[in-house]
Amino acid sequence: MMAPLTRILLIWGGQFIWLAIGVIISLAALEAGVGLMTVSGYAIGAAAAGVVTLPFVLRFLGVSRVVLRYLERVVTHSATFRALADLRVWFFQSLARTGAGGLGFRQAGDMLARLVGDVEALDGLYLRIILPLMGAMLLLPAIVLLIGHRSAALSIEVGVLFAIAAFVLPWIAARVSMRTGTGLAVEAGALRIAALDALTGLREVRAFAAEGRMLAAVQSKEAKLFAAQKAMAGRLALASAGAFLCAQLAVLAVLSEAGAHPAAAVAAAFLVVAAFEAISGLPRAGAAAGHAAAAAHRVMEAADAPVPVPDPADPVAMPERTTLRFEGVQFRWSPDRPLVFDGLTLEVPEGARVALLGPSGAGKSTLAALALKVVAPRSGQVTLGGTDIAFLPAALVRARIGWLGQTTHLFDDTIRANLLLARPDADEVSLWAALDSARIGDVVRALPDKLETWVGEGGTRFSGGQGRRLALARALLSPAPILILDEPCAGLDAETERAFLETLNDTAAGRTIILITHRLTGVERLDRIFRLSGGKAVAAAA
Amino acid sequence: MAQADTTKAAARSWLRREQRAGVRAARPVLVLHVIGQVLAIGQAFAAATVLARAFAGGEIPLLALAVFGTLALVRAVLSYLTEQAAFSAGAAARRRLRSDALTRLLHAGPALLRSRHSGDLATIVVDRVEALDGLFSRYVPAETFAMAGPVIVLLAVLYADPRAALIVAGFGLLVPVGMAVAGIGAAAASRTQFLALARLQARFLDRVRGIATIVLYGRAQDEAQALARAAKELRIRTMRVLRVAFLSSMVLDIAAAGAMVVLAIHYFFTLRNSGDAAFTADLWPALAVLLLTPEFFAPLRTYSAAYQDRLHATGAAESLVDLPPLPQPVPPAEIRTVNARGVTVAFDNVTLTWDPARGPALDELSFRLAAGETLVLAGPSGSGKSSVIEILLGFVHPDSGRVTLNGADITDLVPQALSRLTAWIGQRPVLFAGSIRDNILFARPEATAEEVADAARAAKLDSFVSGLPRGLDTMIGEGGYGLSGGQAQRVAIARAYLKNAPLLLLDEPTAHLDPATEKDVFESLSRLAIGRTVILASHSSAAHGFGGRRLDLRHGKAVSARGVA
Repeated sequence: MMAPLTRILLIWGGQFIWLAIGVIISLAALEAGVGLMTVSGYAIGAAAAGVVTLPFVLRFLGVSRVVLRYLERVVTHSATFRALADLRVWFFQSLARTGAGGLGFRQAGDMLARLVGDVEALDGLYLRIILPLMGAMLLLPAIVLLIGHRSAALSIEVGVLFAIAAFVLPWIAARVSMRTGTGLAVEAGALRIAALDALTGLREVRAFAAEGRMLAAVQSKEAKLFAAQKAMAGRLALASAGAFLCAQLAVLAVLSEAGAHPAAAVAAAFLVVAAFEAISGLPRAGAAAGHAAAAAHRVMEAADAPVPVPDPADPVAMPERTTLRFEGVQFRWSPDRPLVFDGLTLEVPEGARVALLGPSGAGKSTLAALALKVVAPRSGQVTLGGTDIAFLPAALVRARIGWLGQTTHLFDDTIRANLLLARPDADEVSLWAALDSARIGDVVRALPDKLETWVGEGGTRFSGGQGRRLALARALLSPAPILILDEPCAGLDAETERAFLETLNDTAAGRTIILITHRLTGVERLDRIFRLSGGKAVAAAA
Repeated sequence: MAQADTTKAAARSWLRREQRAGVRAARPVLVLHVIGQVLAIGQAFAAATVLARAFAGGEIPLLALAVFGTLALVRAVLSYLTEQAAFSAGAAARRRLRSDALTRLLHAGPALLRSRHSGDLATIVVDRVEALDGLFSRYVPAETFAMAGPVIVLLAVLYADPRAALIVAGFGLLVPVGMAVAGIGAAAASRTQFLALARLQARFLDRVRGIATIVLYGRAQDEAQALARAAKELRIRTMRVLRVAFLSSMVLDIAAAGAMVVLAIHYFFTLRNSGDAAFTADLWPALAVLLLTPEFFAPLRTYSAAYQDRLHATGAAESLVDLPPLPQPVPPAEIRTVNARGVTVAFDNVTLTWDPARGPALDELSFRLAAGETLVLAGPSGSGKSSVIEILLGFVHPDSGRVTLNGADITDLVPQALSRLTAWIGQRPVLFAGSIRDNILFARPEATAEEVADAARAAKLDSFVSGLPRGLDTMIGEGGYGLSGGQAQRVAIARAYLKNAPLLLLDEPTAHLDPATEKDVFESLSRLAIGRTVILASHSSAAHGFGGRRLDLRHGKAVSARGVA
């Protein structure tokens, strides 16, 4: 349970100084608070004895408490910000190194979003879990020593109760939340699927007048989720009530021993009240730790995924030519799935314009994944300019092959930034040329902010067709000599599709174009047409 | 921008309304809180009694100890019940809001999918509604109790020592006054922090979603650095605001610590200067008041911690108020059904515009189709074929002109009546999570097992299903067995057989199939068409073999017709 969390802490190691200062100030603020309460109690008992310095101590603790709380807030929040930025950068880099390319091809957007949610669940680790736990570890010996000064038995009694409330019950809460967390995730997943079914199938639902049925289906999944949540909340409430009872028993113990040393008993009672109050949130923190551990586990699993196509240890020189050839390629996405290709052989000569046709599921997009080294063939080879790409570094192969996929993402940034991703050094003229080729130049020119217009999350400020055209402009801007366009016209209306394909005939001269589509419109100018079927490519008439 | 502002304003008033409704729902939580607070006061008094008696050198009063212990047990039970009641309040609100949101979406119907992605809508129905939990289970009770709790404690302090009550009340008033002067400090701080994190998280999510694009363009390192840079800038900017905002949230700390220090010093001097007899008398109020002072500030602390929940709710509220409104119930007089024995379809000067910038999708289109006839709609994509079908399905109403089924205007029909008349097969049928049987039964849930088997056979689904280990009970859809496009289309045909409606609407049913499968599917469809009125939209040449009349559309107008009245 702890190993993934420990690794998260190691990732935060770079911010150790800040995190440590945060811990120290936070503990000092805690001491000042508990101290203030204890000394207030002591002041009553000591009044008879007439200790004159007490008012000074009280004022000092009061001021310290206020100042330290302020410093604690500032330092711990700053430290948290630093740590969570580090974690995100680390996760992004891990994902980029491992399965990310493959994930994108398999439309795993929702899975990625859930992982991002898991990273977010780790943000509270420091503020809500580590700091309170450290506080409890500091308070335990303090209570035992202060009370033990007068009565060893009482001090052990209170110490044990404190340990139960601060460590045992939170630990149980953590275990419970880890165990029920999986069940909760399953129920939440079922609810999500039911809602998605109803909404994706809005046409079916209306055509079959199934509104009532769909609502009932979602509500029955929701009821299951609520039942699971209620069970979890009930257990957590029990743990909190248990911690509360521990605190009350400790006070009761102090009170029943008050006869021996009344003055000390008052101070002890106030100390116990304040100390247990400070840790009353720990069972909840324990449950959060259980969630965090589960999240950390998933995050680590994604980050540690094996690199699907490792770069060769000893790469050969990049070939000059750019003829792309598939030779006897056999491939399946995983051992339990059917073969996508079985002896695929296909040549795309340098500068050729080729169309690949086939129904969905025939492996058109898989072909792009193979060429881009997102996946590797089980047998056979893919060659670029006569060299097997298995011996070439993926980054250099990808620099030669531009790709526009069905899942190509528009970033929540300006149009310019989105375009520059393909070629960071592109000048103004080539940006506009690419936009014009993709038939979106006039639309952008008409915008008040032109290239600086923000495209919105996933390109939502533009219509689906306009978004596709922006992505297309980016692909055209890329300097790669080979362009793979995977259903570039999906989501475009018929007229725009026709216009775009005609432009494609004129632009991109000298480049290899591989057009992946499920049917041709008739305006494409092509050198070769292949039809994918039965895991092989069949040449069709051009 | 104006749009965003309206949404924000609508979300604010929505939240205010919901909070008022939430106060009613949170009443059990509040009552439990109040009882718990009163018991806590009883405990403080009992503890003070025990300690005061110990000073007086007397026996420890067992009664007071017993009272303390009993109240502790009762409070533990109450705390459990309070949490359960809070959960119920949150769950009830989520159930109500989720049902409301989904009902609105289902009523708005398929036209929604033209402008919004179903995944985003599902996120609203599931995650946004879940995010509202804290508002109802924590924030609303905490907000109400932030006033009630301190007042109850203050009354107890007043009973114990009226002068102390003045001091506590004075420091207590510092909190609202301080917050009014400095803006609601804790609120401003947590809003700043919340927005900063949300912004960082949005950027992170965006880059992770597009990671394939970034990796394939070879820009992963640059993007990682840009992410770190953005996070750093955000941190510096946010901390600048937070350093000031936290100053104002010191008010609560100053008040709590200040009250404690002033009271402790006050009692220290009082007790030091009082004689032996007066000492014992003065001791009890001193202990009681000092034990009660932290209780006075606790509800305020809980409230300021719960502010986070309100912020989460604000974001969720914005997406909920953006949903389409519920339709006004149709007056009963207009509800009509028509005879379902054979359907005659007529379009009379029908115009429909999806997007004014693109021009009309249907432009004064007229045609007539007698019962039992087949009409093939031809023309390039975007010529209006789908619009004809979507009008007949009731997904959208024409802007002008009349569409009639057996002479009844389609806009007068209730959706259930229209649905009884029509069976529809689109480009890609949506298969729901469940078995193949469930998916076929979707067309008519009350159908018998035999009827389902007949429909599967008629749709030629049986040959493929019999090869599956669990036959018709094989799970498909999300997380289940993946069907090919042709197999999925056969499930849709089986649905249409089972439904057995007199009007069959086919919208490019083979657009995503390869030529061999297309031919098979058309064969099954032409058998399904026998005895029904059929409208088939297709630009595939295979559709020519379907027979019947033919209408060529271009830009929403009929350009040539063969055999159409």
